[in-house]
Amino acid sequence: MAVEAQEAAGQAAATGPKRRSHTGLATAGLLALPTLWLVVFFLVPVVLIFLYSVNIFSLYPGGQYFTLDAWKDFLDGSPFLDLFWKSIRMALIVSVISVIAAYPIAYYLALLSGDRKYTLLLLILAPFLVSYFLRLLAWKVILGDQGVINSFLYWTGLRAQDDPLSWLLYSQFAVILTLVYIYIPFVALPIFASLDSLDRRLLEASADLGASRWQSFRKVTLPLSMPGVIASFIFVFIPTIGEYFAPLLVGGVEGTMFGNAIADQFGQSLNWLNGSVLSFFLLLVVALLMAVFARFLTVRRVATG
Amino acid sequence: MAQPMDIAVSRNGRRLLTFWFGLLVIFLYAPLGLLLLFSFNDNNLPVFPLKGFTTSAYEQFLGNAELRASVVTSTKVAALSSLIAVFLGLLAAIVFVRRHVFGKSVASALLLSPLVVPYIALAIGLLVFFSQAPETFPLGMRTVVMGHVVVSIPYTILILVPRFERLDVRIEEAARDLGAGAFQTFRLITLPLILPALVSAFIVAFVLSFDEIIIASFVAGTVTTFPLYLFSQLRFPTLLPQVIAVACVVMAASAVILVATEIGRRVLERRLGTE
Repeated sequence: MAVEAQEAAGQAAATGPKRRSHTGLATAGLLALPTLWLVVFFLVPVVLIFLYSVNIFSLYPGGQYFTLDAWKDFLDGSPFLDLFWKSIRMALIVSVISVIAAYPIAYYLALLSGDRKYTLLLLILAPFLVSYFLRLLAWKVILGDQGVINSFLYWTGLRAQDDPLSWLLYSQFAVILTLVYIYIPFVALPIFASLDSLDRRLLEASADLGASRWQSFRKVTLPLSMPGVIASFIFVFIPTIGEYFAPLLVGGVEGTMFGNAIADQFGQSLNWLNGSVLSFFLLLVVALLMAVFARFLTVRRVATG
Repeated sequence: MAQPMDIAVSRNGRRLLTFWFGLLVIFLYAPLGLLLLFSFNDNNLPVFPLKGFTTSAYEQFLGNAELRASVVTSTKVAALSSLIAVFLGLLAAIVFVRRHVFGKSVASALLLSPLVVPYIALAIGLLVFFSQAPETFPLGMRTVVMGHVVVSIPYTILILVPRFERLDVRIEEAARDLGAGAFQTFRLITLPLILPALVSAFIVAFVLSFDEIIIASFVAGTVTTFPLYLFSQLRFPTLLPQVIAVACVVMAASAVILVATEIGRRVLERRLGTE
């Protein structure tokens, strides 16, 4: 009941004072410009990728005709498909670790009182403003055979000069570690936002009703923070499937991902047909995942509201 | 009322959370600290043991014309793309908050979608698109700007929409009732009130573009942006300390700019009395 009343109040506040409601050409005009930009530089390119993937467009003049051969080759157990599943697996690991590592931080900060929480939140968020490239570079320097960890091991005599921990760099491990490092500040923010807006009285009520702290967390806090958790999960998982520079810099052969295969088809291999199939497949999967997540998010909102 | 912390976690739980927080702060900052340390180390390779203190890496890059040119290029690209992105984001935000238009939800889905599309797919799409009309779209600074606007727009919208939602529409209505035209109202009333949010949106878009490497690496043609320059230098291990030094300087510069603008924004907001 209390929750419902509060939701209603919140909605009233959000709607605010009476709004002028305009419709018409002038208004449509305002939206036309940004929409047009996205249509020209995003939608049309996506359509073009599709046309290349079915060979209606081709890099080679005279070679344009409709065929699904490239799609068949790809879906019929090509190594690229294996690479795709590997990327999905890595993206899943990265996003789950990031969320699990960042949740307690967000929880801790949300429970702090006063302005201190925002100062400490800034401390967690600040690395996100440091160049993506620089953060990749840092791990390249740390993990290499001549890197910080290995040279430290040689120096202290824990490891022989010719026997470095070579799995540290140019491996799946390196890619996962680096991406977790890059995404943690990003993940902490939406979870913090959802926990910070949580009504403290709900916790008092649940304590008054005899719930232990753990029970209150599991039955009240965790479910109410799920929208934040899902949002952060999406924002890590989806870009990571197509990750390109992290595998390129610290992944080596073992850490190669789907994004590298795409880049290679448009770069060295110069096979736009294959590359377009891979790119469009990635876009399809992303669209599908978003549809699933969006549905899940609305269902949750209905369930909790 | 009891502290929320006391209700939610036991004393031991709190200790554990504090410990985890400290650990993560170390995890986040130690790699950057190490980079800074090695940029002053008198050795061409970033390895232990440290040899001695030197600022030669910093001196070298100051004399590097190619590097300075790449910083200028990235600054131009970032400035232009964030100006366009803020302008387009502003138009969209006005409509999303204040108007009811047919197709609004479709438009908002489209405008926000670059947030979740892997940049590699966007980059490929742009490369394919530009290659259809190489005369109209020669690869270069202009094409990078076009791509960066696409990825910046969602961020500017997400920053501007909440600001518009907090804005009291009655102020604008009062101006209109007193005889101001729609554009006059916007220029004299709305614009000053949302200026801090516009500045925030501009900074976010600027940082995003300055740092962006995937789209740039596909559509920059022969132009070298700053991240592309850094990447090209990684092939020569002896240049690593220099690259690290540059990156540290840029990191420090962006921190100063961000803090300065944040302070400026707060002063502005206080003067406007909106907060």
